[in-house]
Amino acid sequence: MWLLWAVIAGPPGATAADHTTLERMARGDHEALAELYDRHSRLVYSLALRIIRDQGEAEDIVQEVFSQAWRQAGRYEARRGNVIAWLLNLTRSRAIDRLRGRQSRPEAASDSLLAIDIPDLTLPVDEQLSLEGRASRVRAAMKELSVLQRVAIELAFYEGLTHVEIAERLELPLGTVKTRIRQGLLKLKDRLAGAM
Amino acid sequence: MADLDHDAWRDEAGLYVLGTLAGKEREAFEAHLATCAECTAEVRALEGVVTALPYAVPQVDPPAALRARVLAAAGAPQASSRATVAQMPAPAHLSVNRTHLSVNAAWLAAAALLLLSVGLGAYALNLRERIGGLEGQLSDAVSRLDLTEQRLAEATRAAERAQMRMAVLTSPDLKQVSLKGQPAAPGAAGRAFWSRSNGLLFAANELPPLPAGRTYQLWFLTPGAPVSAGLIKPDQNGRIAAAFDTPPGTPDPTGIAVSIEPEGGVPAPTGAIYLAGLTQ
Repeated sequence: MWLLWAVIAGPPGATAADHTTLERMARGDHEALAELYDRHSRLVYSLALRIIRDQGEAEDIVQEVFSQAWRQAGRYEARRGNVIAWLLNLTRSRAIDRLRGRQSRPEAASDSLLAIDIPDLTLPVDEQLSLEGRASRVRAAMKELSVLQRVAIELAFYEGLTHVEIAERLELPLGTVKTRIRQGLLKLKDRLAGAM
Repeated sequence: MADLDHDAWRDEAGLYVLGTLAGKEREAFEAHLATCAECTAEVRALEGVVTALPYAVPQVDPPAALRARVLAAAGAPQASSRATVAQMPAPAHLSVNRTHLSVNAAWLAAAALLLLSVGLGAYALNLRERIGGLEGQLSDAVSRLDLTEQRLAEATRAAERAQMRMAVLTSPDLKQVSLKGQPAAPGAAGRAFWSRSNGLLFAANELPPLPAGRTYQLWFLTPGAPVSAGLIKPDQNGRIAAAFDTPPGTPDPTGIAVSIEPEGGVPAPTGAIYLAGLTQ
């Protein structure tokens, strides 16, 4: 499993460094916010851009996410989780909200995102995996999925579609969509963990 | 009972971690999680996978100005932006010969300045006109891009569906079934393509319109009892093309059939058979 943890936990020491950074942010240290931004803005911006597909809106989302991190830095400690996972969760939730707002569909799936606890991934990471290295591992694992598994996961993750909408979009029965999403995620877990 | 419950819930874990369960569905699944250690463990494992997904996105650097904007929004003083304005070195050499400048040279310099400012004014006007023109072009281009994006989205959906179908049709374990209309629908005909790994593609035409409260149901015929593949809804012309999954544990089908059943479907066929065919 270490690779999966390594992929998620970010560069070695980043998790611990992020926690220190958030503690400083909670005390009102703007330099700490600048550090957090320099460390994670690329990933946050790239995810926002992939979902919303509009540079201006992606920039707005990045600003909102870091503003929220700034405001909530003090409360974050209690969550004892991984900071980048938290930032990415906020990013996806805000981007999908905007996407849904744009399509004037009120039923937002993203409220359920924020309800999910972020797993405690502060496990030892002894591997030097750069951002690019992690990206290529995850991309390679995605390529091993069947077309159906990959497309269903992407529609849920990047388009924020509900399983009912995915079933309609792909003209597949609901049961098939559910099964393939779960199988796809299990396969990803296996590939990311088994690359050892 | 607990096992039955668990089977019904198992596939929800993927939807849950992707955040696609909303409202009551989510509450119901969370209630199940509270009683099921197996699902809880799976949710924990899959949450980690979902956290890794953003790394698959093509990585793009945010615009440089965004950093200052983020810091300003948090009320950071200007000084904490990375770049500090370097002090310009004093242009010492300029003062050396200043006293030797003649009056003529001063006049020349003034005239040159005047010419320069007139020229700059004209240049500014010209620039403003060009910007106006470019803004118009840009807004045209943006509307064209919007249209293109819409078309692209439609094409992407069509391609996604085509990819699904291709995955079945190119499976090494593909089996084909020709379905013939039965006495209830002699004009109907259908075809099915089945692969254990990639699922079932089914197409039919000339299916009679359904009476209210009834549905067509598709069946895998097996050496044992028929297994439901799913419900099918033909269009107004009696045509249908759809893809289905193979329910886990289904034996290799010996054929495919379509029957008419009460709305919502039934676990075993009860109504008249409309289409049937054997695996080739």
